[in-house]
Amino acid sequence: MKKRIVSFAAMAAVAALALTGCAGGDDGGGGEGSPIKIGSVNTLSGAATFPEASAAAKAVFDRVNAKGGVNGHKIEYNTVDDKGDPASATAAARELVGSDEVVALVGGASLIECEINKDYYKQEGVYSIPGIGVDTGCFDSPNIAPVNIGPFNDMTLTLLNGSENLKLDNICVMLEIAGSTKPAYMAGVDRWTKITGKKPLLVDDTVPYGGSDYTPYIVKAKEAGCKAIAVNAIEPDAIGQVKAAQAQGWDDVTFLFLTSVYSDNFAKALDWTGAGAHIPAEFYPFTEESEINADWKSLMEENKIPLTSFSQGGYLAATNFLKVVEGMKGDITRESVAKALDDMAPIDNDMVASPYQFSKVAAQDFEPGAWPVVLKSGTNAWKKSAEDWLMVPSK
Amino acid sequence: MSGGALLQGALAGLAAGGLYAVLAVTLTLMSRLVRVVNFAQAATGMFAAFSAVWFASELGLPTWLATIIGVLVGALLSGIIGWIAATWLAEATVTLRSAMTVAPLLLLISLSFIIFGNKPQPFAPVLSGPAFKVAGVVVSWVTVVMVVLAILVAVACSLLLRRTTIGTKLRALSERPTTAELIGIAAKPLSIGVWAVTGAISAITIMVIAPSQSNDAISLSMLIIPASAAALLGGFKRLDLAVVGGLALGMITGIVAQIPDVSFIRNFIPFFFIVILLLWSQRKEVWDAAR
Repeated sequence: MKKRIVSFAAMAAVAALALTGCAGGDDGGGGEGSPIKIGSVNTLSGAATFPEASAAAKAVFDRVNAKGGVNGHKIEYNTVDDKGDPASATAAARELVGSDEVVALVGGASLIECEINKDYYKQEGVYSIPGIGVDTGCFDSPNIAPVNIGPFNDMTLTLLNGSENLKLDNICVMLEIAGSTKPAYMAGVDRWTKITGKKPLLVDDTVPYGGSDYTPYIVKAKEAGCKAIAVNAIEPDAIGQVKAAQAQGWDDVTFLFLTSVYSDNFAKALDWTGAGAHIPAEFYPFTEESEINADWKSLMEENKIPLTSFSQGGYLAATNFLKVVEGMKGDITRESVAKALDDMAPIDNDMVASPYQFSKVAAQDFEPGAWPVVLKSGTNAWKKSAEDWLMVPSK
Repeated sequence: MSGGALLQGALAGLAAGGLYAVLAVTLTLMSRLVRVVNFAQAATGMFAAFSAVWFASELGLPTWLATIIGVLVGALLSGIIGWIAATWLAEATVTLRSAMTVAPLLLLISLSFIIFGNKPQPFAPVLSGPAFKVAGVVVSWVTVVMVVLAILVAVACSLLLRRTTIGTKLRALSERPTTAELIGIAAKPLSIGVWAVTGAISAITIMVIAPSQSNDAISLSMLIIPASAAALLGGFKRLDLAVVGGLALGMITGIVAQIPDVSFIRNFIPFFFIVILLLWSQRKEVWDAAR
């Protein structure tokens, strides 16, 4: 009996959720002086966490609110945690879009959220500008346009950096596949092959995600005669791979990682990186002193937010969104925001390689670029390794 | 697929194997002497190692001193868990005592997130670099030390149990706890001592291995899974088989990584290992009786 009651309650809860999902919002900031409601779904707890993006977006909105808001409207920003868990991600989106009735989603960073919620966003007509898009769903939906170029373009760029800038041959690709990301990464590799006519010496897509000892995989690559390995590892795994190579005495290997390992913590953790660890930074390198990052940097330091690519993404998503909203006439509703984003003029910002235009980015119809950065052995610090953006030529 | 590549894979997995073996030995000791399968074994070592890094980087202590403090932290943490088990769960079943250790496992992971953050720690390697080459594979110092450590710990423990008074008392306590207490053996200090020693061994192990592999809280704490699989080979009773199990598991994992057709199963190897061992150990059981 008890079991039956529990399952009935669960069914009722699901039904209630579904209903709130259908009760599409009418406005989140219609009338004069009413607040503009914005939200974001983020992975704030769990195995991998990305708290900086939404924290940075919040800092931007708080600064605007302190000056009286946008055209007299204060911004209400609500960040929800999806715990890296599909059920929570679904619930988080319904909470924001269904019950809070946000006009848009801005500045989030989640492991899984796009893939799970993209159809719901489409159904509700709500647009999302993630600070950092991670999963494949962020890059193939007309309603989602992240400010970053994403791990799959990153893969193409890190290979381009290796083969064209560093003139390396015998590059091997080692992939850690989580979920259904393999085709997207392979498309990134194929794009590099199309541009350069070069093929990877070896593709190993069996590298474990969150493994502990990577020695067997490093030995395999070394034996195959790889001069460089392009890996899509997250920070702890990348550290493990570099250390395994160090233990094997593989001194002439070059590591081609993705933006995900671009952090001070990573640089501090490794004083040996073989012939160097190279990454294409998706935003202008924050480890360089430059006017380009000055406003972002001072705002982050003021709010005690770590200086990472993630906080750059959150900051950019929020500033781009504010630019669009500032130029809007009339009521600010979900529909009018979506229309404004559709019709927006491209926003140029020196922190990124290409101008941001929602519809173009959502269709992945732009030239992705990144700034090559290197971590050399014994320096414990990232350095620019090029004087300009490295671009993927258009298809 | 050549035999050479397989041999290389086996050698490449040896460091991990040594690590599993040491942890399996400590697990076996715990199960024999204090009737518990300690799920927090690797987590204790992880927390101790992170503390050592913190003492070195935040307080600027020299590495050797921070290392010693780390080992003491490991012994202390494990001792505290042992004290809880000895105080409130002295008469409880093995199952209940083991289930209790899941709490400190989760607590230590969360605590390390809160205190040290959820990023990998910058470990200064105590040992690094290649020791010698076999069949084109570099065998690193870490590998040598781990394998030697596993064998040493197992031999030392079995000598201690067989040849010393303390060993006899410990065996008595684990086999006939009530009788042992009646003839005047102090149960509580002895069992807490066992906890503390295994905690210290775990801390040393993790400190040796952490600089050369992924070292975030989760991946280090979850080493308990392959270690348990290795300890199962000796049925949580035999130290020698625990060492063999650990080394074998590491080598199998290394070999599987070299064969593209089967490498997708690498994450399940400890699980297969466990299932096969359980089936084998139950092979003589009649269905009804075994249930």
